[in-house]
Amino acid sequence: MFEHAALEVSPAVAARLPGWRDVTAHLRSRPGGRVVDVLRSAERAGQPVVQPRCGVGGHREMLALLRALEPAGPAVLSVTIDSYTRLGQFAEAARVLAEAPERLNGYPLVAHGWQRGRELVAAVGTPLEVRHGSPDGRDLFATALAAGFTSFEGGGIGYNLPYCKNVPLADSLRAWRQIDAVCGVLAADGVIVDRELFGTLTAVLVPPSTSIAVTVLEAVSAAREGVRCLSIAYPQGGEIHQDVAALRAIRTLTARYLGAHVEVFPVLHQFMGAFPADPAWASGLILYGGLVARLGGAAKVVSKTDQEARGLPDATANRRGIRTATVGASSMFGFVELDESRVAEELSWIEREVAELVEPVLGAGDLAAAIEEGFRSGRLDIPFSASRHARSSIIPRRDAAGAIRYADSGGLPFSAAVRRRNAVLSDSGGALRTAGGDETGEMAAMVHDISYFSRRDAA
Amino acid sequence: MITFETARTVILGVAASDAHAVANQLIDRHLRAHGFTVMNLGVCTPLTEFADALDDEPGAEAVLIGSLNGHAYEDLHDLPTLRGRGRLRRPVILGGNLSLGAHKQSADLDRLHRLGVDHILQDVAALVPLLDMLRTARVPVAHGV
Repeated sequence: MFEHAALEVSPAVAARLPGWRDVTAHLRSRPGGRVVDVLRSAERAGQPVVQPRCGVGGHREMLALLRALEPAGPAVLSVTIDSYTRLGQFAEAARVLAEAPERLNGYPLVAHGWQRGRELVAAVGTPLEVRHGSPDGRDLFATALAAGFTSFEGGGIGYNLPYCKNVPLADSLRAWRQIDAVCGVLAADGVIVDRELFGTLTAVLVPPSTSIAVTVLEAVSAAREGVRCLSIAYPQGGEIHQDVAALRAIRTLTARYLGAHVEVFPVLHQFMGAFPADPAWASGLILYGGLVARLGGAAKVVSKTDQEARGLPDATANRRGIRTATVGASSMFGFVELDESRVAEELSWIEREVAELVEPVLGAGDLAAAIEEGFRSGRLDIPFSASRHARSSIIPRRDAAGAIRYADSGGLPFSAAVRRRNAVLSDSGGALRTAGGDETGEMAAMVHDISYFSRRDAA
Repeated sequence: MITFETARTVILGVAASDAHAVANQLIDRHLRAHGFTVMNLGVCTPLTEFADALDDEPGAEAVLIGSLNGHAYEDLHDLPTLRGRGRLRRPVILGGNLSLGAHKQSADLDRLHRLGVDHILQDVAALVPLLDMLRTARVPVAHGV
């Protein structure tokens, strides 16, 4: 029976788990190595390590998949969780698992149970992270902890707004505060569980300052609960100066808002939007993502595959993706040098935009209440929210160079200077778009910007 | 400029276990731009919620369901049961990424048709022409039997 004062776990799940002492003793034995150690050595080497996404329904198949990917040399492996488990529908996940595990789009860890989770951790020498998308990840977290995972993705904003329709932010923020509090207790005891924050959000045309504002708010909340190791993920947008500046901004801004007692590892999610269908163009984009990660100083890059446009990849394509990303992040492209003045200019504007978004919120007494109120009023917002609890009044557009700007910043409390710059740059992209077919202008422009990479393989 | 003699309404949403919102919001805008009234139920919408919406809006021409996470078959599993109870008797149009795996098979689509999915679209551009065609045909068939 799992019990910890900081973490409310549903009774049915808690009853199946071992006690807290067993859980911490097992974690302390470092069964599969620790994610934090891998990230620290990546920082020392100045070269990002690579992690694929991977998750299938059946246990034997998951073991086989991890073993098939390990020889490709990832430093961290994922156990990606299925959609039913993410939404807390453990009975539905168990039903599909019993009937046809191949129909699950990830590994239902809660249905399989912590013992099988330990088998996954023991099966490979590479440490594992649980990746999911649960607005309330507490039952999954308790199970993952019992299984010996040393990294757990998610946060009260980034795992709510893109992933479900109607979970109040107060609920998800409270659930993730409890998870962070347990990580804090563990950290004080020398057991470091890396907490990765999902700045990727809805993955399509996410302006850098929107991504980083969300993860900074989650990071401050996590640090207040005692978390000492944070991976902060940013999604590759597509314009290299902006992307490199965004990765660097993660360091400058967390140094400003968290202080030095928290280790922060910037993570690049390779392009998460519409991928080219042609494997050659897809591989080029994967290589490019690796390069961006290295130039931006990311500790880790989460890789894509050349089957991304078609659905979940097979193991062979996933291995290829890991290798290609590794080459992209290697010294092979050490000769690439960016216009540093352009990166510096992007960096200063990202820092300014994030400051204008988060500082009014951080100044409030009750952080969770201020975040909730921010999204209610539109002073915080994300584009394309799946949830009703964000307004999605932001309209993002690419500028002439492909960088992502706010064509409409909705209710965000930006200064006149920030608004002016975004308006000018958004307009610069307009001339490049052509209204096609019977589409109306806005839809055509949006589709054009979304298909920034996917439309090129027709060439 | 296209004009319609009467307001045209459709019900739109994303399947029960799926939270992909971007295409849903773009299709919503697209249909509105073509003069439709869109009842958009958003992401993570169980079939019963689509059925409830159709009860509230019996004039709706079709039920448009998006599914991008490969769970279309699981999420639409109860369509025959609901149809058996006399619900969701409108063309059900499905689009997205409908099965897991990068190599799609026609068996995946057959299975969805057998559940009672009336039309499967690969391309958003085909949606309005399909709705126009269904409206012109307006054959009073019992869908999904």
